Amino acid sequence: MGTTRRDLFKLLGGSAVGALFTPAPWRLITDTALWSENWPGIPRPGSGEIRMRYTNCSLCPAGCAMRARCVGDQPVSLAGVKGHPLSHGALCPWGIAAHQLPYHPARLRRGPVERAAAAAADAIALCGAREHVAVLDLRPGRTASWTYRRAMAAVPHGLYIATPQAEWAFDLAAARTVLSLGAPLADGWGTPGNVFAARNTFRLIQADPVETRTAGFADAWLPIRPGSASALASAVAGEIPIAEAARQTGLAADHIRGLIAELHDNGPSLVLARNMSPEAMRANVALGAPGHTIVGRRETPVPEAWRKSAPVTMLDAVPDGSIRVLFIDESAPGDYFPWSAIAPKLANDSLVIAFAWTNEGYGRHAQFTLPAPVFTETLDDLPPAVDAVTAVFRLTLPLIAPQAVVVKPLEFIARLAGLPSDEALHERANAIHKTARGHVFTPGDGATTPLKSLSADNFWKALHQGACWLDAPCQGACRDLVLAGQEPLRPATQAGLPLALVAGDSTGPPLSSPLTSKLYRESNLRQPANRVALAPETARASGVASGARAILETVAARLPVTVAVDPGLPPDVVRVAGRAARALGARGKVVPA
Amino acid sequence: MRGFLPFAAGAALALAAGWAGFPYFIYKSQPQPVDFSHKVHIEKAGAKCDDCHALRGDGTYAGLPSLDKCTSCHAAPMGTTAAEKRFIDQYVTPNREPVWHSYARQPENVFFSHAAHIKLAGLKCEQCHGAEGASTGLRAYQQDRISGYSRDVLPVAGWRRARGMRMDDCIACHRQHRVENSCMDCHQ
Repeated sequence: MGTTRRDLFKLLGGSAVGALFTPAPWRLITDTALWSENWPGIPRPGSGEIRMRYTNCSLCPAGCAMRARCVGDQPVSLAGVKGHPLSHGALCPWGIAAHQLPYHPARLRRGPVERAAAAAADAIALCGAREHVAVLDLRPGRTASWTYRRAMAAVPHGLYIATPQAEWAFDLAAARTVLSLGAPLADGWGTPGNVFAARNTFRLIQADPVETRTAGFADAWLPIRPGSASALASAVAGEIPIAEAARQTGLAADHIRGLIAELHDNGPSLVLARNMSPEAMRANVALGAPGHTIVGRRETPVPEAWRKSAPVTMLDAVPDGSIRVLFIDESAPGDYFPWSAIAPKLANDSLVIAFAWTNEGYGRHAQFTLPAPVFTETLDDLPPAVDAVTAVFRLTLPLIAPQAVVVKPLEFIARLAGLPSDEALHERANAIHKTARGHVFTPGDGATTPLKSLSADNFWKALHQGACWLDAPCQGACRDLVLAGQEPLRPATQAGLPLALVAGDSTGPPLSSPLTSKLYRESNLRQPANRVALAPETARASGVASGARAILETVAARLPVTVAVDPGLPPDVVRVAGRAARALGARGKVVPA
Repeated sequence: MRGFLPFAAGAALALAAGWAGFPYFIYKSQPQPVDFSHKVHIEKAGAKCDDCHALRGDGTYAGLPSLDKCTSCHAAPMGTTAAEKRFIDQYVTPNREPVWHSYARQPENVFFSHAAHIKLAGLKCEQCHGAEGASTGLRAYQQDRISGYSRDVLPVAGWRRARGMRMDDCIACHRQHRVENSCMDCHQ
């Protein structure tokens, strides 16, 4: 009666069955799963004191205030700042995840900085009498912008290229009726928190060829024909007959008449457009918006000595073939200039140096693309957004050390011109302090303090704790507004291009956190810049199918794109990403690749 | 019947090992640096929980007290116990911070607001931390050998569901009190 092999197997079988009725195997599964979260190579936030730090987001011109929860020196979450006078505690999805941006795998991590500096110095020395050294600034009005202007005044034939800053702002809180001509009010226009804070105080009428996110959020949607927004604005301005506007927009004449009556009767009213055209501005003048819903805004003060700097030159005013050296500061996202508009301005053998977060923007066309610091690594100030009714001054503060071998565009360009750059922000803060105007909002305690009651040092310290200076409301001379809209970059009627371009989703910053990149771009939750959408019948007529590679041809560019088919779109329309819409023109054609 | 015996023996062995041995072996014990008596401090010194485990001015939880907090009373011996003498010799005199092991430490991806639970919900410390305040000494810190979690956070399940400080426990309590919650409340 010895022990047999069968007995041993029975013992093992019994053990296995018995073990299932103990916590051991189940607990080992849990423990193994938790252990696998701690493998080497998995990023782990550092430990340390938990504290709140305040900053302002620099991913878009809105500059929303942010509260960063930091463990040690590492920001681990971002949130809005309750009670902030500009952003009202709100933060967009890009902002909420922005602390992950420095670790994006697509980020540019190194670049030939020394070679670029040497090439720039050589090219500047060889610059001919009719050639220019230029800086293209996508977000003008910053202190860095003023340093660029001073640098361009210091180098021979220097040009500072940017869009001039408006001396007025839209006061949504003062409006009772807003007619939006395709302006994406609910999708990245102005300061998102400010729009939503004022939303209940005005009636929103959205005129859009397609039912955009803002159209769904509006009180009324007017489905106008693509490209007819200016006609509707002209009718509101009383410049064209209502019947003509009805013919162009496809709306009933009575409908337009009722709309105009509502804008006059339920004022103050405001007409907004994605890009404020001269027609939209004239409509505002006709409605009496200046001084009510469009208010004058002073420029944020600068030291007097800075005034002797290069003027702002618009890209269109630069002679063709005249730029020998071009620096493009892409590190502060803002205006978009299509490469097709920049390329003709370059001389033969020109040198283009881009300071960027990724290689995907102007870096594709530059001889040198240098890695710039991203949000949470950089110190910069933020000019006011279109809906900030007074001048403002606030800083975006470095929360972490740069996670790549970055070069600060400001320092690079200032050094070439022999200018100091480290004290510029402090000098500007002192210039603001000298005015003794306005108030300072401090996010830590939510208090608002008159500027004149703070010393210059305390003002500077407060700015480094995320504070925001807001100028006093504009009185007197700056109420006499000069309202000029932006002319379209391309003519509206273009032969041989059968499809009208309509703007789709706002595309956000050039690089966002890995999470939002995944959600919004790779998963196509929002329409990315390399994707167009067509109605099914338009896609068939163009010879393309959903998911197909195609070419979008406009007078401005010939872009490789991926096609999406959207039955919600009207025929003869191609929807492109919001940021590129104005630059691409009014009409286009989609052909198979 | 005889053929069933090896099977039954194996099952019995596994059950014994799983219920008696496994909970013992899965944790490693680490003594706390100081033999601290909550009971003495509460009953004799009249201290309250938040005298040492306080919220900061901004509402965040300061955690375990630092040496400064201890030396505000124990710069010199206040009693005659050996534990106090050892504490003064080993930590106060050389000004060395004791390395406490936190029974309730959560992983880094969890944000827990003590302020919200104490001030808004009105919870007592004991409801989550048990009768720690009545202890005469600090029990050894038991750490899971595989996951690294504290036994208080991740206890071994028994016939009756062991109460710990896992996500399931948080959600169960929120459900019981009908308090809404979302992922971002804790995983910010």
